Amino acid sequence: MSFQAKLIITTLALLSGFFVVDLLRKRKLSESYTLLWLLVIFGMFFFTWADKFLYSLTLLFGAITPVSTLTLLALMFILIMLIFFSMKIYKMERMIKEFVQRVALDNVKRDPRLTP
Amino acid sequence: MEGLTNTVKESRKEGAIVIPVYNEEKNLRAIVEEIRGSDILWDIIAVDDGSSDRSRELLESLPVTVISHPLNLGYGAAVQTGLRHAVSEGYETVVLMDADGQHMPSEIPNLLPALDKDADIVIGSRFLGKPSDYRIPFLRRVGIVFFSILARMLGGTRIFDVTSGFQAMRRDVAQFLAEEYPVDFPDAEVIISLGLKKFRITEVPTQFRRREHGSSMYAHFGRAFYYPFKSILASFIVLLRLIREKK
Repeated sequence: MSFQAKLIITTLALLSGFFVVDLLRKRKLSESYTLLWLLVIFGMFFFTWADKFLYSLTLLFGAITPVSTLTLLALMFILIMLIFFSMKIYKMERMIKEFVQRVALDNVKRDPRLTP
Repeated sequence: MEGLTNTVKESRKEGAIVIPVYNEEKNLRAIVEEIRGSDILWDIIAVDDGSSDRSRELLESLPVTVISHPLNLGYGAAVQTGLRHAVSEGYETVVLMDADGQHMPSEIPNLLPALDKDADIVIGSRFLGKPSDYRIPFLRRVGIVFFSILARMLGGTRIFDVTSGFQAMRRDVAQFLAEEYPVDFPDAEVIISLGLKKFRITEVPTQFRRREHGSSMYAHFGRAFYYPFKSILASFIVLLRLIREKK
C-alpha cells in the first residue's frame, strides 16, 4: 500500500476517533458503542500499518491488492453491523409493542369510562 | 405479558366480540349498532390501534369496551391486545371481526354451532356456500388459493379462506394466540401455527359485504407486494420453530 493511501486512511481514522469521542462527550452515544467504534478505528490503524499481515490476508483471500482486502473486510464489517442493528431495532420494536399493549390494557382496567 | 393473561377473573363470561379499529370513524357506529340491534348480547371489545381520525372519540361514545393503543402498532398487534383482554376477563368464546363493515354481525350465529361440535376455531369463509355480490380481486384470489395450499402442506389444515379475519374461537385458542400473534398479515401464518399445534380448525360459509368507506390494508401497492413474501417466509419459520421445539 502506498504511503499516500496509508496517510489518508490514518487521517480518516483519527478524525472518526475524535468524532466518536465527541459524540460520547455530548451524550449522543453510549460508552459501549463508543468502545465498539474505537475498536473499529484501531482495526483500521492495524490493517493499514501491519503491512506483512495485510499481504498475508490478501494472498489468503486471493485478492489482487491490499486495498481490495481492506475493502472486503470493511464490507464484511458493515454487513455484520447492519444485521446487529436490525436485531437491535427488532428488539426495540417488540419492547415498544409490549409496552404500548400493557399501557392500553392497564388504562381500560383503571378508567371506568372505557367500559360500557 | 404472562401476568396479563394469567389474571383471569373467577366468573367466566360467555363471549366477546373483538374488533380491531384503525381509522374507521365512518364505519364504526353502523357496525356497533348492528351488533347491538341483533340477538347477540356479548360484550364488544374495540381496540383502537392509534387511529389518526376520530375513531377513538367515537368509540368512547358507543356501548363498547375501548382499548386504545397510544400509537399505531399494526392489525395483528390490535387483535392480540383484544385477545389478551378477552382472556384476562375470562371470556369462554371470542369472535374476531373487522370494523370495516365487511363482516356481518348476523353471520356470527352461523360460526358458533361448529365450536359446540368439534372445532376449536371456526373461520367464516367467503368461498363456501352460495355466491354473493362480494368480489375479491383476481390477484388476491390467486394469493388466497396459494396460501390455502401452503397451509394444507405445512399445517395440515383444509381451509380455503385463509385470509378471512372473521373467526370464532374457544378460550384455549384465544389464550394461545394472545401469547404470540404476528404484527402484520397474520392470516396464513396463524392458520399454519394452529394446525401444527393440533387445534381443530374448520370453516363455515358466511356472507361478506363490500366496505362502504376507506380502503383495505392490502390495497396499497407496497404492502400488497410485501405481503406474499412475508407470509411465505413466516409460514416456513413457524414450521422450523415447531421442529426446534420438538427437539
